[in-house]
Formats: sequence, structure tokens, C-alpha cells
Amino acid sequence: MHDFASFLPLVITCAGALLLMLYAVCPKAEQEKASLMSMGFFAVAFFAQLLVVCTVSRSVFPETFNGLLGVSSFTNAACLIIYACGFFTTLSSHTYFRENHFATVEFYSLLLFSAVGMVLLSMARELITAFIALEIMSLAIYILVGFNRASSRATEALFKYFILGAFSGAFFCMGTAMIYGAAGSTRFESIAEWLAFNPATTPLMLGGAFFLLITIFFKISAFPFHAWVLDVYDGSSNPITGFMATALKTAAFALIANFLALSGNLHDSWITGLFWIAVFTMFGGNLIAIGQDNIKRMIAASGIVHSGYLLIALVAINSEHFSGAVIAYYLAAYSVATLGMFAALSWLGGEGEKRVNFDDFKGLAKRQPLAAATITIFLLSMAGIPPTAGFMGKFYIITSAITAGQIALGVLGIISSILSMWYYLRLIVSMYFHDAEEDFVVNGTSLASISTVALAIGTFAIGLFPLVL
Amino acid sequence: MIEDYLVLSVILFCIGILGVISRRNVFTVLMSIELMLNAANLAFVAFARLNETMDGQILAMMVIAVAAAEAALGLAVIILLHRQKGRLDSNVFSLLKG
Repeated sequence: MHDFASFLPLVITCAGALLLMLYAVCPKAEQEKASLMSMGFFAVAFFAQLLVVCTVSRSVFPETFNGLLGVSSFTNAACLIIYACGFFTTLSSHTYFRENHFATVEFYSLLLFSAVGMVLLSMARELITAFIALEIMSLAIYILVGFNRASSRATEALFKYFILGAFSGAFFCMGTAMIYGAAGSTRFESIAEWLAFNPATTPLMLGGAFFLLITIFFKISAFPFHAWVLDVYDGSSNPITGFMATALKTAAFALIANFLALSGNLHDSWITGLFWIAVFTMFGGNLIAIGQDNIKRMIAASGIVHSGYLLIALVAINSEHFSGAVIAYYLAAYSVATLGMFAALSWLGGEGEKRVNFDDFKGLAKRQPLAAATITIFLLSMAGIPPTAGFMGKFYIITSAITAGQIALGVLGIISSILSMWYYLRLIVSMYFHDAEEDFVVNGTSLASISTVALAIGTFAIGLFPLVL
Repeated sequence: MIEDYLVLSVILFCIGILGVISRRNVFTVLMSIELMLNAANLAFVAFARLNETMDGQILAMMVIAVAAAEAALGLAVIILLHRQKGRLDSNVFSLLKG
């Protein structure tokens, strides 16, 4: 019964997606109503998940799904983040589609479907389940990226993302086949048993894990596989960019953390590789971000840097007592700030996303003081300035790295964090210390503006909330 | 004997990678990705025989289903591209830099 209860939020999301798909055929269907329905489904799923977190104490359920899916406090936290991301993305889409008219009911249905894929991905305890969840998530996201069929930029972003995503998906599949060949099973439990008696450096296991890591690095835009992220984020619509940057990253990190925490044997064999990838991801991302004039591209590049910090946490995980609390905390802090940025962009972006560059936001503080203040809070949180969630997240990550004996990595993380101030402060300067060139007319209070304020409060609330280990 | 199938699988996978990297036609790229997925299927089936379990056979079926969904979406993307650009050459995409 408890097993079923832990699964209930996923059932709600899935039912919501199917219902919206049915609603889309109804001749009187309106996308505005669909967005309210999707908000409702995400909210109900979020609270159901919260209830599960508070009431169900037993961690993994091996018997119900034959070990294919597992729930722990870490996956619960990841699911909460995903549902919250879905909720706030729907709020910003509601506002965004007042000025950009290409939404249909299916948009919200696909949003729910991709959330289903993400939740399954974070719960997966078997590689083919993970592959199927990855594809459920990715296929829905591909369509959402290219939803504006009239825009050739969106189509180009869709094409790039689709080809590279399918390419990396094939690597995941091959990696699974190799691990199956080595360990004789694709279930995490059996792989862990096999690893207890065999080294993780046998050719098949090493190659298989390498291929899986390639796919995950692609999804989280880590160093050698980060080139697509700028173009895809730039080409897709604001709310979807926010959703991809946060929820998708959460799901991918949940999977990779669960996989690496399988056995100390496996994790140890990848520490050196992860170390260098974390370093290159942080500094490469910073170099790219400094050169950007477009805010969406800057946030995309800063997303690469944040993946680097999360990789530090991945290097530092302890597979004996894996809790993933540090990763979940940082993901929550990062998601709140990034979703807030994209909610603000959806609110202020205007028709056809005409305001996207740093210069377009000159003097925003004089015309829209509230918007400028919230954007400043989000940027300071991403940069890691003390009272915000971003600071606490970075603090926990660096502490965990030092506890794990990776002092060099901790120091490099701090240096990268200082470097990143450059481009965050640039936007703040252009909002506050320039004269306004336009009026920033936005039509009144919208759901996106409410969610911007709510997320700004959330930035401080998470920052005050201590890490529950 | 079974090792030969694994070698074949690796060769197919490499042909797939080469196709994705070097070919410019969108259709060929999509077919190369399918080739990579099917190389993985072959590896699954060969390992299932090697380990003497049935798991691998079923996993291959799952992968085929997912590959079909992916191919359907891929064809839709190709139609969209063809409508907008009139060509199926990946060189024509230059709006987004980088």
C-alpha cells in the first residue's frame, strides 16, 4: 500500500497528461483553460509528493516493481523539484502565451508527459527503465522546443537538439548492452552485487559506464558535450528554456548520482575523470558566459557552470552512506533562481521575445522596480551571495568536496564562482545604472509576475532552510 | 561464434557514428542513428545468448519500440525542415551561431 502511495504523484501527473490529450480533441478546447488544468495537476502532484515525503518512511520498494524503480529521500527531493519546476513553468507559459500566440492544449499535455519521464528517470533502478524514461522525457522536450512551427530559429534548435539527443541516446543503449554483457543484468542491485566481487575496470564495465556517462554529460551539458546548449536554449521559447535548464538537469543528475552511488568500486574508478570534467565544465562555461550579449545564452552558459558545481558534488558523494542531500539542495537552489529568471523573461520579454539582450534591459529598475529587484535576487543567488539559497548550496558542495579530500576541487569551485560574478553583475549594472530607453509596457499583473515574486521569496526561504542530512 | 556477433555489433555502431558525424543529409543522419540503436540490439541479443538468460532479448524489444517512437518524431522534424528550408542538407542551418 505504501508502495502505491509513493507512486501516486506520478500516477496523477500521467493521468493529467492523458486527460489533457483527450481535452485537446474537444472542439471547445482553449489553451488558457488547459494551462490552468496543468497547473492544478502539477500542484496536486507536488502536494501528494510532499505528503509521501512526510508520511512514508521506508526507503526502497524492491518487491512492487521487481527492483526496476526505487524511492529514497533523494529521489523524493528530486521529484519535488521536478513538480515545482513544472508548476512554475506552467505559470510562466500562461503569461508568455498572451503575447506569443502559438500554444495549443497539447503544449501542456507534453509538459506533463515530460515531467512523467523525468520522475521515472530519477526513480529508475534499472538501465533499460532509465533509457525508456529518458526517451519519454526527451521526446516530449523535443516537441516543446520546436513548438513554434512558424519560427525557423525554433526549428533549427529542435533539429540540433533532436539529432544530438538521439545520438547520445544510442550511446546510452550501447552502454546498457555492454554493462548487461559484463554483469549479466541491467538492474542496479545485481550490478552492485557483481561489482562487489569484480573490478569496475574490466573492459565491458568500463566501456559501458563510459557510454552511459557520455549520455548524461550530454543531457547536463558538461564539458566536451556543451556546445548545443547555447543554440537550443536560444531557439526555444522562454518557459521551455527554463524547464529544460532546471527539471531536466535535476532528473539527469538524480540518475547519474544513483548510478555512481551503486558501489564504491565504480565511483572510485571514475573520480579522476569526473574531477577533470568538473574543472573544465566550470571554467569552460565561465569563458563562454563572459562573451555573451544575449541573456538566454548567458543563462545557458551559466547553466554549464552550475553543472560543473554539481559534478563536484558528484565527485564527493559517499557511496557507503549515499544521501544525495547536497546535490538535491543545490539543484533546488539553482532551479528556483533559474526558473525565476525565465519567469521574469516570459513576463518582460514582450511579443516575439523582443527583449533578450543585456542592452534591452537598460534602466529597468526605473520603470519596473519590482521586476528589477527580483531579477537581481535571482542573479545574486546564482552568483552565490550570502543570504540566498545559491550561497548555501555552494557552501554545502564545497564543504562536501573538502570532507571527501578533494581540496583542489573545492578551491577551483570558489575561483570559478568569483569569475562568474562578472556576467551576473553586468546585467544588474545595466538594469540599475543606465537610463531607461523604453517604457517596458507589460499588461498588468500576470501569473508570471506572481511566480517571479514567489520564487524570489523561495530563494531566501531555501537559503534559510538548513540541509537535512 | 557469439564473439563474431559482438564484433559485428561494434562495426555497425562505428558505421553509425561515422554516418552521424560525416554525412550532411538529414535522412542519412537519422538512419545512422537507427543503425547505432540496432547495433546495441544485436549486442543485447548476443549477450543474452552468452549469459544464457532471456533478459537481453526482451530489452532488445523495448529498444526497438523506443527507436520506432524516435524515428516517427524524426520524420516529423524532417517534414518541418523541408517545409521551411526546401532542402534536407544540414548545411543550410545557420541562424543560430555556434
